[in-house]
Amino acid sequence: MSDDFVNEQHLELRRADVRDALLAAGEALREALPQRVPILVGGDARHGQELVSVDPGLPARIVALAPSATEADVDAAVAAAAAGRSEWAERTPVERARVLRGAAALLRERRLELAALASYECAKPWAEADADVCEAIDFLEYYARRALELDRDGMLGQPPGERNTMRYLPRGMVAVIAPWNFPLAIPTGMVAGALAPGNAVILKPAPQAPACAHAVVSALLQAGVPAAALALLPGGDQPGAALVRHPGVEAIAFTGSAKAGSEIVRAAAETPTGASHVKRVVAEMGGKNCVIVDSDADLDEAVPAIVRSAFVYAGQKCSAAARVLAHEQVFDALASRLAGAVGTLRVGQAQELGVDVPPLIDAEAQQRVASYIERGAREGAVRAQVASHPGAGGGFFAPPTLLGELPAASPLLNEEIFGPVLTVEPVADIAAACDIVDGLPFGLTGGLFSRNPATVRHVVGRSPVGNLYVNREITGAMVGRQPFGGNRMSGTGAKAGGPDYLLEFCRARVVCENTTRHGLVV
Amino acid sequence: MSAEDQILAIGRQLAGNLPRSASPGERVDARLLQIVAGDPALRAALFRFTDVRPACTSVADLGQHLVTLLEDASPASRMGRAMLALARPRATRPLAALGAGGGVQRLAHRFIIGRSVDRALPALARSWDAGVAASVDLLGEASVSDEEAEAYVGRCAEALHALASGSASWPARPVLEADSLGPLPRANLSVKVTALTPEIRVEEPRRGIEDALERLRHLLRLGHRLGAHVHVDMETLDSRETVLGLVLEVLSEPEFRDGPSAGLVLQAYLRDSPAELDQILSWVDEHERRVPLTIRLVKGAYWDHEVIEARQHGWEPPVFTDRGECDRNFEGLTRTLVQAHPRVRLALGSHNLRSIAHGIACVRARGLQERDLELQVLRGLGDDLAHALARMGLRVRVYSPVGDLLEGMAYLVRRMLENTANDSFLAARSRGAPLEELLAAP
Repeated sequence: MSDDFVNEQHLELRRADVRDALLAAGEALREALPQRVPILVGGDARHGQELVSVDPGLPARIVALAPSATEADVDAAVAAAAAGRSEWAERTPVERARVLRGAAALLRERRLELAALASYECAKPWAEADADVCEAIDFLEYYARRALELDRDGMLGQPPGERNTMRYLPRGMVAVIAPWNFPLAIPTGMVAGALAPGNAVILKPAPQAPACAHAVVSALLQAGVPAAALALLPGGDQPGAALVRHPGVEAIAFTGSAKAGSEIVRAAAETPTGASHVKRVVAEMGGKNCVIVDSDADLDEAVPAIVRSAFVYAGQKCSAAARVLAHEQVFDALASRLAGAVGTLRVGQAQELGVDVPPLIDAEAQQRVASYIERGAREGAVRAQVASHPGAGGGFFAPPTLLGELPAASPLLNEEIFGPVLTVEPVADIAAACDIVDGLPFGLTGGLFSRNPATVRHVVGRSPVGNLYVNREITGAMVGRQPFGGNRMSGTGAKAGGPDYLLEFCRARVVCENTTRHGLVV
Repeated sequence: MSAEDQILAIGRQLAGNLPRSASPGERVDARLLQIVAGDPALRAALFRFTDVRPACTSVADLGQHLVTLLEDASPASRMGRAMLALARPRATRPLAALGAGGGVQRLAHRFIIGRSVDRALPALARSWDAGVAASVDLLGEASVSDEEAEAYVGRCAEALHALASGSASWPARPVLEADSLGPLPRANLSVKVTALTPEIRVEEPRRGIEDALERLRHLLRLGHRLGAHVHVDMETLDSRETVLGLVLEVLSEPEFRDGPSAGLVLQAYLRDSPAELDQILSWVDEHERRVPLTIRLVKGAYWDHEVIEARQHGWEPPVFTDRGECDRNFEGLTRTLVQAHPRVRLALGSHNLRSIAHGIACVRARGLQERDLELQVLRGLGDDLAHALARMGLRVRVYSPVGDLLEGMAYLVRRMLENTANDSFLAARSRGAPLEELLAAP
């Protein structure tokens, strides 16, 4: 069990046989759609079809049918967990770690199938879908190991006559409210992070991605998480809000928009009469991620890296690049090369190899992005745009767009768009770029392209972001390598995939025992 | 005489034709490279400095980069410390900056033949006079937009015109102009597919192929019309399937059955290169061409990139990580390619005396003429070797990059890496390793 953590290998898609296997898995999965996703509470499954998840590239294709959980389901799930969760909490850390790693093994066996599921349910292009599966496996493997390390002594002073111990105990009941943009990895990470130290978990996945969440929960249950310790409540905002308010829920792990996150923080802060605890909130919210390009940057590297950071998965990553701040000496060259590069992007179905920009998740997102683009074109200038997919099937496509010459107060420069939209603007120098970044309410990811170590140090010192990437893409954080999480309004600062993440789901208990008897140490 | 003895004899003859003592300038270069190879921190700082050099807009900017890079590296060698001592004080910093900047310029000049084909023509003509042919490579790495790809094709077309017209008046050099299969063009251009299309996608080679097809066709048509050779370079493994697919697809078209002379590259450091060669040779068997396909066998210039990329992804490196294994594979591929004569033409791109001697021995053993083998070296690294080969009456071609410093930087950094790698043949030679060791079977 103590073997070192190694990231799950991504598929080597440059090999034709690997691609063929993936495409075959995609076809097999498509044939078997739609999937049925139940509400799972205490081992009971209840089916239904009020909740429908569709293929964003072809909305007529139903990916999954699920019931929509109600407040009654929330109550039942909390009650079932309260009754049965001690079984999980009382297992030894070694036993729990074995179960989590067993779940990782089950996901590993189904890697291609799960990638296909993420591809159809959330329009993840193959490379992204595969990375999502790998990250889910990584979270299980990594947190299993971290939980064992939590259980070690050695931190405290031990003078003669005193035995001091500190143990990390589970908080109890954790509600996980997950997003759709990493439909396997993020639910797995939050659920595994809470399960590892012994909490019971209720997962409320995004309504757009119930099938992916079901796959994760099934693997964990099959691997040996007791039914009472893990519930699945597919549904929309209603069960989510009920979970946040529920007095039996002790911690909430959330990933999603800043608006929803702030609402959760506010609601969770209320301690109704009779409450037995203050709720802990772990929130991972949005960003307005800037990439600073210095005058000495290597534009041959910067241009493709920025384009990938902004447009892969149609910009629907919290970490995606949104705003480029280019030193005025290189602005013209950079802006025109970026425009040229954006012009080569291919919009199309996620399942087609070679597609750069897949459809957005749903019609609402399509509408939101369209109105941002329309406003951007009005307030500034469209420097490049690729015609959106003709979309005979009514997919939720959006045109990848590069905008410039926007006024400083424009929402395009200040709000998270969560779509394939990038802005580029000149700055007088690096200090001015840092001022702009500093002026934003967010602090998730950031990028810097510079070949001067002094500039790198300067920006590192000034940047408010949680994850700063230097001379590379700003997305694609790896578990155990780039623990991920934002500051400011981007989150509560927890670092998913990092050494401290499990502490978010623990309370510590210190015991000091007097070991002397009659003045003697015995 | 055994095959191995043959190789040793040829190797000794080759070594005997190399200049006995280096020129003073070359001795300084060799000594510098030795110091740099022995001080990893200094090597890293100088690489980074070289890399950023073209982006620096003033002496002050250059000096600032030099001093911070050296300070960060805190080099251990006396030379590194001396450079830092010179770069640190404001008074002497411009001197250090100009010195180091000039060093990069000098290095660039060593590897890059000229800013444009027109400016390179006198040097190309001098080499030709001395019995050394060239393949011109237009510097500039990946294109990110259609505009850049079109501009690259435009530059290639200009280069083909300039080479064809510029070389017309060169004197006859029979060794360089024909082999037993027919005439060989004087004008020879190497083309990079990553510059021909911005649409290379590892997971979908078809995309890059389709985007680059028409551009490559255009160059091949022009090459045919001007009687020039068009050689398509190989780059990293990420683009290999695109490059190979593109070349074989376009050369399958009836239009190009009669020409021009064209070629591609096989990288022996790739573990699966024998299978790749099988694929190429079966294509050759199925597609009759008036002018046989030229295959340039090289070890491969992206070793570090391939290893790092694989390690970051947790993949098995696609390249041999053992030098000896790579050299043995090179010899195995050489044998297969010599056997494949006259279906293909063989060009060996190597600075390794052993690999070259082995190639020559294979050609002799198969009963072919020596002119059925072409030897290729890189400008700046294999110049002495080129002249030694020419003196032995062999056909040698120097890969000669053309372009400005900015475009050439990535190329330059690759060459420096190669030249300062501790296990490289060149490093061994410049250390003064005994000839027996250099010629020993890998």
